[in-house]
Amino acid sequence: MREWICVGCYLAASLFITACGHKSTVILVPDPDGSLGQITVSNAAGSVEIDQANQSTIVRDRKKPPGAPDQLAPVEVEALFGKVLSNEPPPPIHFFLHFQSNSVQLLPASSQQLSEIITAVQRRAPTRISVVGHTDTMGDKAYNIDLSMRRALAVKQRLVNSGVDDTFLDVSSHGEENPLVKTADNVSDAKNRRVEVVVR
Amino acid sequence: MRLTILSPLCLVLVLAGLCTPAVARVFIGVVKTIEGGAVIERKGETIPVVTGMEIRQADTIKTDRHGYVGLVFSDDTRISMGPNTEIAVDDYLFQPLDKRLSFIVRLIRGTVSFISGQITRLAPESVQLVMPEATIGVRGTHVLVKVD
Repeated sequence: MREWICVGCYLAASLFITACGHKSTVILVPDPDGSLGQITVSNAAGSVEIDQANQSTIVRDRKKPPGAPDQLAPVEVEALFGKVLSNEPPPPIHFFLHFQSNSVQLLPASSQQLSEIITAVQRRAPTRISVVGHTDTMGDKAYNIDLSMRRALAVKQRLVNSGVDDTFLDVSSHGEENPLVKTADNVSDAKNRRVEVVVR
Repeated sequence: MRLTILSPLCLVLVLAGLCTPAVARVFIGVVKTIEGGAVIERKGETIPVVTGMEIRQADTIKTDRHGYVGLVFSDDTRISMGPNTEIAVDDYLFQPLDKRLSFIVRLIRGTVSFISGQITRLAPESVQLVMPEATIGVRGTHVLVKVD
């Protein structure tokens, strides 16, 4: 009998906790590079915009709008997230490689970067590497994608020849859809014609 | 019409080895740091987390009371998880060439730091951090969330 009462209490308590126990805290903090983004916290009852450093909102119920933005002191943020912040993985390293016109031959300056890439791969191990071809918006799309893909594959081959394990390396093309510099259509841009090697 | 434009393109990609058969899995993310204990729940299996391990779509990642995990995704997004934390990668698509971009992470409990990446830059409306009582839309970039 007693056990049943206990079980009943436990069930009631856990139902109570599931119904009312949640509380979510959201804080916008500066990026590692110092700039600041913007977020919107919303549910069916309303939404709150946050665009100031260390501003936060608390949400307790999906039927009530998120709380008004509240400014936190850096020490409060540190108290809540200290080790989670210090444990953030370092940003992936991006290498930008450029080629001779219409060719899979790297320009000399880019060719010299290959040894830096190998060093980064060794330092970041275990890691994953992506080799991504990019084009500008000039000329025939399908041809550009094909050329950027052949360039990316040529870079992959040189990395594999230098000892990078190709099971941890993927190759793709983003075509003209992920430019470094936004341009209009049919614009030749040397910065956008590139292969990016990403070491994580 | 759309098909006639796309098929030669896809043929080129197949020849280039990009549209490899369905067996090849697209890389989406990797475990960079682990301290204490953590597991990934994947298709009913529970797998201990180690560094270098790949993250897949629909994975649930859980840390124990001493666990810390750092994840890096293919679009440069970084997630740092604290102890007693559980998140699920509900959707992840980073295929700019086909304009297929989506990142939906569910924060079930615990503490998480999120630093957004290229998906947010290319299509901010397609990035969502889903909490039990509300959803965060991210237009860049560094967000801290605690779900009690």
